[in-house]
Amino acid sequence: MSEKPKVGWYWCASCGGCEESFVDLAERLLTVFDAVDIVFCPVAMDFKKEDVEKLPDGSITVTFINGGIRLEEHVEMVKLLRRKSKIVIAYGACSAWGGIPGLANLYDLDEVLSRKYFEVPSIDNPDKVVPCKITKVKLKEVDEEIELELPKALPALLPLDKVIEVDYYIPGCPPTPDVFWNALEALLKGELPPKGSVLGALNKSLCDECPLNETKPDKILLKDLKRPHEVIPEEGKCLLAQGLLCLGPVTRGGCGALCIKANMPCTGCFGPLDNIIDYGGKALSYIASIIDFEDEPDLNKVYDKIPDWVGILYRYYLPASKIGGKAGLKKSKIQDRVVEYG
Amino acid sequence: MAEEVRIGVYICHCGFNIAGTVDVKAVAEYAKTLPNVVVSRDYLFMCSEPGQDLIREDIKKYKLNRIVVAACSPSMHEPTFRSVLESAGLNKYLFEMANIREHCSWVHSDKELATEKAKDLVRMAVAKARLLEPLEEKEIETSRNILVVGGGVAGMRAALELAHYGFEVYLIEKSPTLGGKAALVGYVEDDVKGSEIVGKMIKLISKNPRIHVFTNSELVEFKGFPGNFIAKIRVNPRYVNEKCTLCGDCIPACPVEVSNEYEFGLDKRKAIFYPYKGAYPPYYVIDSKVCTFCGECVKTCKHNAIDLEMKPQYLDLRIGALIIAAGYDPYEPPKGEYNYGIHNNVITLFQLERLLDPNGPTKGNLIIGGKVPRRIVFIQCVGSRNTTPNSKPYCSRMCCLTAIRNAIRIKEMYPDTDVIILYKDIMTYASDERLYEEAGKRLVKFLKFEEPPKVTITEEGLYIDVYEYTIQDEVRIPTDLVVLSTGMVPRHDLNELIAVTRVSCGGDGFLRELHLKLAPVESPTKGVYLAGAVTGPKNIMESIRMGSAAAVKAMTLLSAGKVSIEPLTAVVNEEICSGCGVCVSVCPYEAISIKEMDGDRLAHVEEALCMGCGTCTAACPSGAMQQRGFKDTQIKAQVLAVFGGG
Amino acid sequence: MSNEDFKPKIVVFACNWCTYAAVDLAGTSRMQYPANVRVIRVMCSGRVDPQFVLEAFHNGADGVIVAGCHPPTDCHYISGNIKALRRYTLFKRLLKSLGIEEERFRLEWISASEASKWVKVVNEMVETVKKLGPLKPKLEVVE
Repeated sequence: MSEKPKVGWYWCASCGGCEESFVDLAERLLTVFDAVDIVFCPVAMDFKKEDVEKLPDGSITVTFINGGIRLEEHVEMVKLLRRKSKIVIAYGACSAWGGIPGLANLYDLDEVLSRKYFEVPSIDNPDKVVPCKITKVKLKEVDEEIELELPKALPALLPLDKVIEVDYYIPGCPPTPDVFWNALEALLKGELPPKGSVLGALNKSLCDECPLNETKPDKILLKDLKRPHEVIPEEGKCLLAQGLLCLGPVTRGGCGALCIKANMPCTGCFGPLDNIIDYGGKALSYIASIIDFEDEPDLNKVYDKIPDWVGILYRYYLPASKIGGKAGLKKSKIQDRVVEYG
Repeated sequence: MAEEVRIGVYICHCGFNIAGTVDVKAVAEYAKTLPNVVVSRDYLFMCSEPGQDLIREDIKKYKLNRIVVAACSPSMHEPTFRSVLESAGLNKYLFEMANIREHCSWVHSDKELATEKAKDLVRMAVAKARLLEPLEEKEIETSRNILVVGGGVAGMRAALELAHYGFEVYLIEKSPTLGGKAALVGYVEDDVKGSEIVGKMIKLISKNPRIHVFTNSELVEFKGFPGNFIAKIRVNPRYVNEKCTLCGDCIPACPVEVSNEYEFGLDKRKAIFYPYKGAYPPYYVIDSKVCTFCGECVKTCKHNAIDLEMKPQYLDLRIGALIIAAGYDPYEPPKGEYNYGIHNNVITLFQLERLLDPNGPTKGNLIIGGKVPRRIVFIQCVGSRNTTPNSKPYCSRMCCLTAIRNAIRIKEMYPDTDVIILYKDIMTYASDERLYEEAGKRLVKFLKFEEPPKVTITEEGLYIDVYEYTIQDEVRIPTDLVVLSTGMVPRHDLNELIAVTRVSCGGDGFLRELHLKLAPVESPTKGVYLAGAVTGPKNIMESIRMGSAAAVKAMTLLSAGKVSIEPLTAVVNEEICSGCGVCVSVCPYEAISIKEMDGDRLAHVEEALCMGCGTCTAACPSGAMQQRGFKDTQIKAQVLAVFGGG
Repeated sequence: MSNEDFKPKIVVFACNWCTYAAVDLAGTSRMQYPANVRVIRVMCSGRVDPQFVLEAFHNGADGVIVAGCHPPTDCHYISGNIKALRRYTLFKRLLKSLGIEEERFRLEWISASEASKWVKVVNEMVETVKKLGPLKPKLEVVE
């Protein structure tokens, strides 16, 4: 009997959505379990790092890694998995380009930490506890001091391919079950495109599969931009033509236009098409090109309508972009402290 | 498998122009280290015949398939080197130029920095060359109709030239008559007035069946491409038809009186008027801007020639080329400059010419305030050469000569009148220098100034204070008449024409020729040519010559019956295009449309309409649209090469 | 790196008809300006995809200039300069949030006759960038 392909699955800075998308395969999961052996999957099964270390190098057929790289721990784990795996797949937007948590790269790590642990209105942290490399804790009950060592956060969040070589990408926030299924089929059949390709999705933009494409006028020029909460879009009519900033034209298709079918504009979670240099730059170029004004004050009036352009244009892509944010320009002071409390 | 890229790099010394600042040998040696460069040389003059041969021989010897020449600006010699490639059997678009003269050796004096920059520029050109693809020019049939905008001497000459060689000409003129300014002012030779030449030209044009004249007409839309433009003409109503006999019965009936622009404001005309004797077409016209449409003229006209119901008409003309000969405006001094507009005895050169014209308001008699002036003082460079705060920086070229000619004429007519010319420099170039001498013989006095003279009004009359440069002393000159030698300025409405035709103007506000040496009378838009004073101050003969030159250029473009289109056009990758239509929305030429192909909506580029700006490529969200010769990959390679990569 | 040693590189995207011609004119007029600029010729400022500007900064450009014909009417292609204006008005908003000083980018209108404006823009840009220093390098996030 030929051995079943071994599959690994690891999560880094993940929200859990990608794992959910795996579960969303529903009855098709049974086929997957029949076809492969899962050798590592901390989200669902009890594996330890040492289980992976024990495996011979290159013995895992394919490892899916989701979530962005934010901690030293992630770096350590993905490097290990790279060594053990024939194929590594960046699964989901965070792993491919940084995803929504990647927007934290607009800030220094210290700004992120102090916001998260000291400033947000919902925080209750009178002792100013913050995860640091070394934390000394006095345990009063036993009158003992212990030293906790936590993995450090990196100065910026990184997409997987900035840390290890990635063979293929599966896009989406999260990837849809169909896209995942397409990719799995390709993997199991061994029908793989050149290294570095995107699996399971189209190389055409979302408009190609958008049910509203036919309602789109050939020519669109906008005098105004609307945000989804401002209007109830007319159903069955191209959202861009209604002034909603839909990123469908600049985003890879393959999701089945799920958001559009729910009357929401595309936010770009399937990322750019092949050969695009920078998703946000391209998105900017496309949308600005069709703003129908000819001088700066008028243009600015329209641009003012969107309070957070980076968040719109780079929602899933910032860490993979050509410039990124200001994260990584300064060293963290906060987490290099040695904190004592208790 | 793709063919191996084999690049030849040639560094031009351009004599000392480049080699004097850039270490050309070092650059050539450096180029040898770049990937795909098979041969790299430096040579004294790459554009010379031996330089061209060098490339041709290397292409054969080394099987080169890309050529990079580092020399002057591509606007200078790109065509030269492209034909070298062609003659060596290589597609001419496999050529890239690095501009190490205008962009480097001429603007940097530090040898080390200039050499370093030249290396960068060569590396960038090689990076792009590596990705160049052969492109095919498309040939398109052309129209043999030519539109000439402007019915002055330049435009009329061009029209006559074109018609003579069998082209159909549409000659449009914004004012109600052909003739332009030369019909009113200026000389061709000493005793030949501009109006004489204009009269002869009008006669020839009126008899020529190939020239279709539209006066009171404007170009309002202009699109298409060389050889196949579409021009929309608005023919504004004249309100008087060809039944008019010029009897003049309508004049007394008209209650509206305004300043007469054809006499430069020296007298008045009615709202219904005939511009001047000899105006063409020979009918009256109603100035709709001032007419109250009271209908009094209609009542007096015995010939049913007046029709106040006339509406503007629009013509869509398919034309192969456009000649712009829209002329100039005389400089109008602001009220108070040298007391112009305040004292009646301060007039412009244009007004003086009208006063001396037998058909002018005084029938050619120089009578000011009822008598012949005993002294006339000309002030030169009014509105020109930064003389006063409102002046243009340039020399208007014709004012010196015109002032001197008129001075001589006044001396002939009124030998007792004292004529003084206050000048900065006298510019009577070529054979006209003779007139300067002649004026001296006739005792016209020339006084030189550096600071503008001052004109003062007193109860006794006018006097001028000037610091005379030669004698280095203040001089006070009482005078009866001051003539301001006003120059030429761009037409007040030139911007409208620029907006419609998209030609460009230079810093002086006149239209700019593409290249004074390599592309005179050409505009930056192929198929659009420029003639006459719309390009800057000209005298009548210069305008006429330029009219001929523009006609020849237009004929050269159209004589083959077809033109080839630079293939730097947009092309759609249908594998990627999703038919989102962003390109359709941004194309300035309506060259892109969405077409249904096998159930897919795809962008389609109408290549004949694409002008190759590339704005669709920059806008295309999927990267499906690319501009040939300026693909994303090619520009990106240049960017990377700036920093050593690519 | 001391300011003396800092030789900034400024990438310029110049349209063929206006700005490239102005740079040529500066040459024929033998005007002198700093050798820090590298001009990339495109047919129209409307061709300059913001992606190229990002790519330039990514590779270490200390400044980037996009230059074309004066709006509203000078564009050789009717309205390419307006497309550039639309894009780069928005682009300027992004730069700062992306961690690059806004002074490092300029959108300029330089007509074919404005050689002296070209020289002025280059001088100003080089001076500004020298004051700012080199584009700050990112830390090695992963050693």
